[in-house]
Amino acid sequence: MTLTTTARGNISALAAQRIATEERGGARLTAASLSAPATILVAIGLLIPLVILFRYSLNEFVAQRKMMVEAVTLANYVKFFTDPYYTNVLFRTLRVAITVTAICLVMGFPLAYVLARTQSRFKNLLIMLVVLPLFVGNAVRAAGWMTLFGSKGAINATLMGLGLISEPLEIMYTETAVIIGIAAVNLPFMVLSLQSVIEGIGRDVEEAAFSLGANPAAMFRRVLWPLALPGVLAGTILTFILGMNAYATPVLLGGPQFQMMGPLVYGQFAGVSNWPFGAAISFVLMTATLLLSVTANLIVQRRYRR
Amino acid sequence: MARLLLDHVSKRYGDFHAVRDVTLEVADGEFVVLLGPSGCGKTTTLRMIAGFITPTAGSVHLGESDVTTLPPWKRNAGLVFQSYALFPHLSVAQNVAFGLEMRRLGKADIAARVAEALRLVRLEHLAGRLPRQLSGGQQQRVALARALAIRPDILLLDEPLSNLDAKLRQEVRVEIRELQRQLGLTTVMVTHDQEEALTMADRLVVMNEGAVRQIGSQRDLYERPADRFVAGFVGRGTFLEGRIEGPGRFRTEGGLVVRCADGAAGSAVLALRPERLEIAAMPLAGVDNSLPGKVEFVSYLGAASDVHVRLSPSDRVIVQIANRGDGFTPEIGATVHIGWSAAAARLFPAGSVGHDA
Repeated sequence: MTLTTTARGNISALAAQRIATEERGGARLTAASLSAPATILVAIGLLIPLVILFRYSLNEFVAQRKMMVEAVTLANYVKFFTDPYYTNVLFRTLRVAITVTAICLVMGFPLAYVLARTQSRFKNLLIMLVVLPLFVGNAVRAAGWMTLFGSKGAINATLMGLGLISEPLEIMYTETAVIIGIAAVNLPFMVLSLQSVIEGIGRDVEEAAFSLGANPAAMFRRVLWPLALPGVLAGTILTFILGMNAYATPVLLGGPQFQMMGPLVYGQFAGVSNWPFGAAISFVLMTATLLLSVTANLIVQRRYRR
Repeated sequence: MARLLLDHVSKRYGDFHAVRDVTLEVADGEFVVLLGPSGCGKTTTLRMIAGFITPTAGSVHLGESDVTTLPPWKRNAGLVFQSYALFPHLSVAQNVAFGLEMRRLGKADIAARVAEALRLVRLEHLAGRLPRQLSGGQQQRVALARALAIRPDILLLDEPLSNLDAKLRQEVRVEIRELQRQLGLTTVMVTHDQEEALTMADRLVVMNEGAVRQIGSQRDLYERPADRFVAGFVGRGTFLEGRIEGPGRFRTEGGLVVRCADGAAGSAVLALRPERLEIAAMPLAGVDNSLPGKVEFVSYLGAASDVHVRLSPSDRVIVQIANRGDGFTPEIGATVHIGWSAAAARLFPAGSVGHDA
């Protein structure tokens, strides 16, 4: 009796498994056809050029004739890491991207929280306002900042007019100007990533924490932050990548002396036609960005996902 | 555990009175249920006790202290939410430990009290699970254990059973009530379900439109409802509109004259209990009132049937009869006689449903 039941149980379990497998096979087929267009676009537009670029980064460059010569050498990478000028650019880029990300997180979290929790009927309008900076192109926005930051710009004019300073502050063409500029553009990405996650955290969970004796700081640390973590990670990585790869803002607000990785890559390709070195810098930039994003992700997840 | 006092508490949002002048005392160890339809102010009242809402007027006292303006985290109130509101990222044991960690108890103390709380709700074996791995009933018990672990001065239950299926709800009612008695917990529960309220409460507070309509025991509310709203909300009521013409004489809108208890002359509502009306094929002898009528509708409910009887073009009553298998079962269209004694009816001034602001 027991035997038969077990046997039948096994058979039906097997059958169920087979059906499940078939269903999964069907799902896989649909999933494949649905994701194909995007996959193909990414493959053609990104992966293939990357492979070619990587190959180029191993080539040699003959400066006199401005010509790329086929080779397999790490000379371009060695050049980057042995010349303090280039390593400084890398460190500056990292510093700017990290600072920008931190600013966006600190400023974006409260804003995202308010947006997520508001009962206002103007909520959609508020979200539009957050996205508003993205409606303005990079160059236009940077020009706007220039009118504000310049030695005769609005900030200096106001401060001098009030008699608070006698000499104009140097904001334009500094790291500060670049950081402010990039942070302002990246903030919407951070806010939207956080807002969607915070909206999914019930208000009653916060109230439960309060009723159990948690003050707002403890509630944030023990409940809101760990639950918002997926949004924090998404927003942070997005902002960091955008910061690492910024182009227009460092060029326009940083000026010719202020180099970051993005403009450096472009300069090698367009300015001095050194494709192999430009390709090597691209890969350094990409690797640094990826490594830091993944490491940060792992550390945070290990810390909070017990 | 402590005594709770709401002293003339009101909450206004602009022109909207969410709660009007509520005064209520809950004794140490007493189980009081706030009962009313949605929007009656019962949840707002509970949230004022918990500290999430500050009253516009009046004060809240817990034990010996005035907690009116104290934030929730400084009150010692254990709250069970309708949605349970468990922390999804923490295990069952961590959920229960949360309030104890906030109180900075030692590790050994916390472990002991978590184990004790989980034992009370019989969930020791699930301590390591995450909330999403539990059934609704189990989640509900974790929420209860979490609220009990902090040894609250007062236990607040916000529709704690409404997300459970009907059968489980009946079991959990009894469980919560037994636990409450055993621990001597001062408890305030909010519900719109009168059966739940009647089963669990020591005392009930019926609310409507932000105001308390009546406070009393189950028997008080059923036998001596304060107004038409309570008569209709606790138990069932069937009503005849009309006026009191003279001592003991009530004339319905449809012109029927019935004998009733004495009341002030003027427009009035006569409230009857469907289950206390007699129904027969012949005129009833020996009762104060016996009126003929026509059966318009019968609904069979298993243990009982509801018979809708038209007494006049503008008067209709519902009679509930027990289905014993041997009794009289009227058919639609049949002529029947309805009887009741004057003492079984209650009189309320007309228009007492709405709030007289």
